[in-house]
Amino acid sequence: MATSRTDDESFEALFRAEYARVAGIANRVLMDQHEAEDVAQEVFVDFHRLHSASAQYAPAWLHRAAAHSALNRLRGSRRRQKREVAQAAEANDRIVDPQKLFEASEDRRQVREALARLAPKPAAVLVLRASGLSYAEVAQALGVGIGQVGTLLRRAEAALRKEVTSGTSL
Amino acid sequence: MAHLSDGTLRRMVDDPDADTGADKRHLETCADCQARYSTVSGDAGAIASLMTAPELKVDVASAFNRVRSAPSARPRFGFRLPVVRPGSRPFVLGFATAVAAIALLVTAIAQDSNTFTPQTLTPVPVTMADMESLSQLSAYGTISWTKQPQPQIVTSADEAHTISGLPVPKVASLPTGVSSTVTYAAMGQATAVFTFSTAKAAAAAAQAGKTLPALPAGIDGAKLTVTVGPAVAEIYGNISKPAAGSDITQANLPQLIVGETTAPVATSSQVTVVQFENYLLSQPGISPELKAAIKAIGDPSTTLPIPIPVQFATSSTITIQGVQGLALGDNTGVGAGVIWIKHGVVYGVIGTIKRDDAVDIANHLT
Repeated sequence: MATSRTDDESFEALFRAEYARVAGIANRVLMDQHEAEDVAQEVFVDFHRLHSASAQYAPAWLHRAAAHSALNRLRGSRRRQKREVAQAAEANDRIVDPQKLFEASEDRRQVREALARLAPKPAAVLVLRASGLSYAEVAQALGVGIGQVGTLLRRAEAALRKEVTSGTSL
Repeated sequence: MAHLSDGTLRRMVDDPDADTGADKRHLETCADCQARYSTVSGDAGAIASLMTAPELKVDVASAFNRVRSAPSARPRFGFRLPVVRPGSRPFVLGFATAVAAIALLVTAIAQDSNTFTPQTLTPVPVTMADMESLSQLSAYGTISWTKQPQPQIVTSADEAHTISGLPVPKVASLPTGVSSTVTYAAMGQATAVFTFSTAKAAAAAAQAGKTLPALPAGIDGAKLTVTVGPAVAEIYGNISKPAAGSDITQANLPQLIVGETTAPVATSSQVTVVQFENYLLSQPGISPELKAAIKAIGDPSTTLPIPIPVQFATSSTITIQGVQGLALGDNTGVGAGVIWIKHGVVYGVIGTIKRDDAVDIANHLT
């Protein structure tokens, strides 16, 4: 079928153009290559099943889905904490200043926990921006005006900072 | 000029060249905005460093191969109806018990006769708490299917008819916006038997830290038999399961479902149904609304209660094809449905459509 071939080709082009970025968004949340790629592949499979790869909204859809799927996985995962403690311990064996690395790892663990507690939209805006999306790309992914991105980002950063602070014993 | 907004200040942190001249001049001369800029900038820097992640090295080509093989490796309709998904079995059993319990309850109220032939429907609003409480009843005994429900997804109306033995309803015309992609689901008759065990009930209640309501004498070993189906449904629109990890609101739900099923039949042994009703309604966690709704069923021997989640319980009676039915939902298109019962068969038209459209489909169904 000529049309499906064309769509398959468009899908491959879309995949090659966006896969690294989609996986990067998930990795920003999950900090685990294997899980991040799992999420990225699911997102592409879901997209391919339901949408045309030549749709203009394709990249925005993928970015948004990657952020939300990874955040959902983060929220649902209580194993994460255990794994990170294990990773930190493992890393401790390799580095010169274990204390420093442990602290950095602890910070990252706390920030992921805090991220999981944020509402979906602020969490997504932080993840997308930290993954290197431009203001215009963040706006498209979240379906907001570009003028709102600065405001959303500022509120989200303030909220995350507050969550991180309240999540520590300090 | 008014002070700069937080959003503007935040954007200036990311891209100092993107600001307009007026904003920049204001910032240079306004101590208040400079102080806020400093806070905003400090937060942005702190969050940026907290959000760092280990570098990701991806192999796009092999990732693509994995994805390309994924969809084709699945069956064409790569989902199973929830009722047969193994992981959800405890919930399904719980739900089946709950439905059986409601059906039995109605049967029981019919007193002298222990079978019933429903002719009219009544909505029974249920809450999640109700469902959970009723689901606990599955720990009060054993459920066995003497005939397993085996819903199947098929691609043609003929196959659906062969499996269910029911005539497949035909929709005269679809409302605008509803996909004409149609999938059929069908199942034969299924029968579940619930055998009540006083010992299990006591243990389950103790485990939940609750006191078991006083048991009617002779309930131990009582059997409730519920027969459901056959059933057939037409499902319009794309069907897919939600992405793993995504929440249910992102699921791609069918736009319209038209279904019919033979009215369920419940029979019981040993317990009088009034006792059972009182027992069921005395479970901790059953909402007063559900109690009231069950108690209010006018002629229980001929009325089939339709459990409806309480938030969708805007319902009204309506005449469909010359018989009394129930219309649910409204005309916003968010969700609406019509359920009616004719000659012992329950019909339903439900979807993300307007109520008027659902009524129209129902009246023209052949």
